[in-house]
Amino acid sequence: MADDDAFDAIVVGGGFAGLAAAYRLAQADKSVLVVERGQVCGAKNLTGGRIYAYALQALLGDRWREAPVQREVKREIISLLTEQDAVNVDSTLTSVEEESYTVLAAPLLAWLAEQAEEAGAMIVTETTVDGLIIRDGRVCGVTTGDEQLEASVVIDCEGINPLLLERAGLIRRLDPHDVAVGAKFVFGMPAAEVEQRFGVQPGEGAALLGMGDPTHGVFGGVFAYTNNESVSLGLVVDSAAWAKSGRSLLHTAQDLQEHPALRRYVGDAELLEYGAHLVYEGGYDTLPQMSGDGWLICGDAAGLCLNRGFTIRGMDYAVMSGIAAADTVVEAVEAGDPGPTGLAGYRRRLDDGLLQDFRALRGGHAWMSGTPDLFTVYPKLAVDLMTDLYHVGADPVRPVGSTVWRTARKVRKPFSTARSLLKGMKTL
Amino acid sequence: MTRKSVDELLATTRFETDEHNAHIVIDPQACRTCPSDRACVTSCPAQRYVWDEAADQMRFDHVGCLECGNCRLVCERLRLGVEGYSWDYPATGAGVSYRQG
Repeated sequence: MADDDAFDAIVVGGGFAGLAAAYRLAQADKSVLVVERGQVCGAKNLTGGRIYAYALQALLGDRWREAPVQREVKREIISLLTEQDAVNVDSTLTSVEEESYTVLAAPLLAWLAEQAEEAGAMIVTETTVDGLIIRDGRVCGVTTGDEQLEASVVIDCEGINPLLLERAGLIRRLDPHDVAVGAKFVFGMPAAEVEQRFGVQPGEGAALLGMGDPTHGVFGGVFAYTNNESVSLGLVVDSAAWAKSGRSLLHTAQDLQEHPALRRYVGDAELLEYGAHLVYEGGYDTLPQMSGDGWLICGDAAGLCLNRGFTIRGMDYAVMSGIAAADTVVEAVEAGDPGPTGLAGYRRRLDDGLLQDFRALRGGHAWMSGTPDLFTVYPKLAVDLMTDLYHVGADPVRPVGSTVWRTARKVRKPFSTARSLLKGMKTL
Repeated sequence: MTRKSVDELLATTRFETDEHNAHIVIDPQACRTCPSDRACVTSCPAQRYVWDEAADQMRFDHVGCLECGNCRLVCERLRLGVEGYSWDYPATGAGVSYRQG
């Protein structure tokens, strides 16, 4: 068992999962230390991004409304892009209340760290954990430089590159086929200009997810989000497929700003920051063992990110897994059993909670990554159809039916295409 | 819109630079026999890897690394941590320090 001066829990990483776990543990009067490698919490985090408010509500109650989120998403745009053109499915959803907000990770995590500290958690920054202390198979703490820090339980929230867990052999090495890489630009502009460019009301925001030519046939997509006084624009592509493409990721990301359908959102604005981050996309069947003797894994480190094409969720699952881990640790510490049995409740909590989503969308990633037409053929068909429908010239008009038929005939294998699309609807 | 160079892009991002301690180590000469088609060169979003044709070796600069970890995935040697190749997080708060994130 741990010494008297040991913590109930050490949390590795002060991101969404780690700070949620720490806040929850501190609220339950457990001693908790967060070890963060960045200058401050949030320094190493990057989001697209957008968060779903239910997770903040679950953690903070109504106080989540004080959180420095950006704009409430009231307009959703799905964009099918060819080299020069785009067809958008543009939804104005003013009736949706307090469901989702655009965010920048750095200010939100700095605030969340304050909440955790006020609740009683201890946070040390600028400290990189370089190993786990393992005695007789039980994780008893972490090492950083010459220092050894002991705890009943270590909650690993180290993020998408789980070096500690890989080196300790507690998790398999991250596989490039399960991961996408994202690059993001943040462009600054006054609030009124954000609202004008995206056609939203003051304080309200828009989210755009696009697929097609910008990723050059590689599984992935582009995104744009309105912040208070900036716009985030970026792309996410499958890491393994991109490596084979031979194209420069940086130049491809820069091309976004010049696409006629995206340029309007960021053209001539000042670049505030460029960043990059990995995104886990392996899905349910690749998830690791979630807990063991003296340890639990949350957030990105646990692979808890889900891409459906039209929504990408990671931060809400990070928060929810942090809560589930904390509740499990409270139980285990109070029962005096931080071993594999005492911590097994974590997986049960996840099974009854967020893993339901992962099970429901089990084949989604395989379907999207195995359906390259999604990123090449379908956006082109949509643009061709709309181009034909809106065409007026000296030539005689064509009835709508014949225009649609002409486009539909361009589908090379209509039956297997229809079958594939039906499968997609089931897995997403 | 004039296109920014990679240096201009990275100048917008804040770094707590530690010039001396590289958190990623590669063997520039061993990269001649790369089993991963030198995917790092095109897959690094910060373009930290440049193949120097004249010197017949890899040039790598850890300063300006965004710590995304993509090279750790696309480079088989970094992924497996073979001799001369290692990937770590920077120590003591060094490296990228996002203000927006």
